[in-house]
Amino acid sequence: MELIIEEISKGDKLLSRQKYHGHSLSIGRAYTNDVIVTDPHVCPEHLALRYDGNNWIASDCGSLNGSFLGNGKEEVNEHVVQSGDVITIGNSTLRIVFPDHPVAPSVPFSAFETLINLARNPLVIGLAICLFALASAWLAYLDKGKEVNFTLILIPAIGMTLMFSVWPALVALVSHLTKNDARVMHQIGICFVFYLLLLGTDAIQALTLFNSSSNWPVKWIIGVLPVGIAFCLFWLNCYIGFHMTDKRRAITAACITALFFGGTALMQISKQPDFNPRPQYNATILPPSYLIASSNDVEGFIDDASKLFDKTREMSKKEQEKSEH
Amino acid sequence: MKAVFAIVLSVFCTLSWAEEQAGAIFKQWAPSLYQIRLIDNVSGEKSSIGSGFQITADGLIATNYHVISGFAQAPQKYKIQYLDHQGNKGELSLESVDVINDLALVKRSIDSEMSFFTIADDAPIKGEELFSLGNPHDLGMIVVPGTYNGLKKETFNDKIHFTGSVNSGMSGGPVVNKAAQVVGINVATSGNQIGFLVPHDKLAKLFAKYKKAKPESIEAQMAEQLMANQEKLIGTLLKSEWQAKELGPAIIPTVDVPFIRCWGDSNADKPEALIFTAMATCSLDEDTFIDNQFFTGMIEMQFQYMETEKVSDLKFYHLYQRQISHASAGNKVSKEDVTEFKCHHDIVAPSSQGINNKSILCTRNYKKFPELYDVLYLGLSVDKDTQSLISHFTIAGVSKPMALAFTEQFMESVSWN
Repeated sequence: MELIIEEISKGDKLLSRQKYHGHSLSIGRAYTNDVIVTDPHVCPEHLALRYDGNNWIASDCGSLNGSFLGNGKEEVNEHVVQSGDVITIGNSTLRIVFPDHPVAPSVPFSAFETLINLARNPLVIGLAICLFALASAWLAYLDKGKEVNFTLILIPAIGMTLMFSVWPALVALVSHLTKNDARVMHQIGICFVFYLLLLGTDAIQALTLFNSSSNWPVKWIIGVLPVGIAFCLFWLNCYIGFHMTDKRRAITAACITALFFGGTALMQISKQPDFNPRPQYNATILPPSYLIASSNDVEGFIDDASKLFDKTREMSKKEQEKSEH
Repeated sequence: MKAVFAIVLSVFCTLSWAEEQAGAIFKQWAPSLYQIRLIDNVSGEKSSIGSGFQITADGLIATNYHVISGFAQAPQKYKIQYLDHQGNKGELSLESVDVINDLALVKRSIDSEMSFFTIADDAPIKGEELFSLGNPHDLGMIVVPGTYNGLKKETFNDKIHFTGSVNSGMSGGPVVNKAAQVVGINVATSGNQIGFLVPHDKLAKLFAKYKKAKPESIEAQMAEQLMANQEKLIGTLLKSEWQAKELGPAIIPTVDVPFIRCWGDSNADKPEALIFTAMATCSLDEDTFIDNQFFTGMIEMQFQYMETEKVSDLKFYHLYQRQISHASAGNKVSKEDVTEFKCHHDIVAPSSQGINNKSILCTRNYKKFPELYDVLYLGLSVDKDTQSLISHFTIAGVSKPMALAFTEQFMESVSWN
């Protein structure tokens, strides 16, 4: 008769799987056994299985620490084995499965999977990293108020690229350590594609802030954009690197996003003084070719601005009332 | 040799004559001179000192507003005290203030009529010798002789130009002519340079008003004075001629009034600079002191022209944006005095269509004087690829209608040539 013995971890992860033929099977630490377990809490002859013609029977061989069904306290003694039974010996856990044990239905390759596989294409990875490095170099160039030479912008570009490679490497490392497939190339590819998308949102933000007047409440809408993209990135990191349920993946991605943006926001709030004597205004400006909005006239501007005075007066009244209480 | 000896002797004589004269004035009028001190109620120690002088027989004393500003702003925290030439102390009550000209009237209770300083009817003549009396550095009363040099030209509210070393503790002390009539009051706040005096007519006006009716509340009186002053100041600016002036290829306004002074600068001497910059700043050289943490009443207009042929339009605008991201109002304020700024922005073209600006207007309200606001405007040209004009002004302590009228006129006056 055939029998499959799986060694599983405490977290239900499969550590090894072996198929055996015959009518009896011995499990223990001694080299004479069919299944050799290295766990020091397991006896040299620990557990024996025999086939009586109809069933497999499991019996403890008088071991020091005993054998138990599942994680419970029920000792294994002349136990009739069912397919899928879990037996704990020492610190190790074994699952016994018969060849006719049902398996989960096959998962078809989704278009999504193909898309993700595209991200590990060396061409895509190379292109994404190059574009990102170029964008970093260009931003560094824009920021320099003096004449610049090539090395002066090359160093920040390389530095930025290396710094941003840390995240996919970290995710891959964690998934490797948790006995998942690391898939480093996937992670790097996906991350850099999304970094480029985030840079794209910066451009969209600048364009919107430049073209909109404060009469439109666009600030919040465009503020949400990078948060959404970051959430997608973290979700994909989880999808590629770890086996988890959809719900758990969504929660994990949401938590990382909240930690990231919430943390940044918290840091900014804690830095903000109790009273700011400087005005906070939107000073985004771009060259005329990026200007789509039509111009208001001075009268219209004055009309809109006059509401500000009433607003600050209201603020002042409220603050006065608060301080009186 | 004889001639030299004669000159030296005559100089020495004039000096000693001046000293004698000063001594006589001091001896005669010492009983009417006081040190005015603000005492912190909790610690019982003085928190600021200045000078003051009696102007009526029944104990009315004139001093600087800034000497007693702590009491005017927080009457429960302080008391005002006098110290006379014999070392007697007593409490004073605050009667009236002129916050614009930095004057205050306080009163002591007296048993019998006392001698007092009379306020002169006429202004002194240029070159006339005057004596500044006061109490610098808590060292006791002193007399400083000096010369009257007329009114300072570039001020909106008159100040006397006096050559003589007026020290900070002499604030609020009288400046008298040879007939011992008060022709000015020492003033030495941080906003005003040493050597300037408040003219006597400001005190005469405040005193005359006080004789008619004592103000009901000091805060309301201050609000009224600040309101009237800004109305007069901005009104004068709006009525004056706004001359169009060239700054590079741009047209900027300059207001033709003596109290607004302009300065210019450029980086034409630095050919290695990526962006050529020329700047013109016009401002009012005075401000109004409300307390140590709160100044108002200043106006500043600033124009900056920038151009480049060395970098792309995107880089030019990036550097241009960095230049204007941190504009702030020029007056010192604290949380108790004003709200935070609120801002409005839009793309705006004046009726001439001569420029297209991203315009930003920010304002904050005064908590104790709710009719008044600080205003900050920024106009950023966005219609030329590698040329730009920043037009900017800030006004402190202005009413809503005046602020809006000024903003409108300012925005309409800026354009490309």
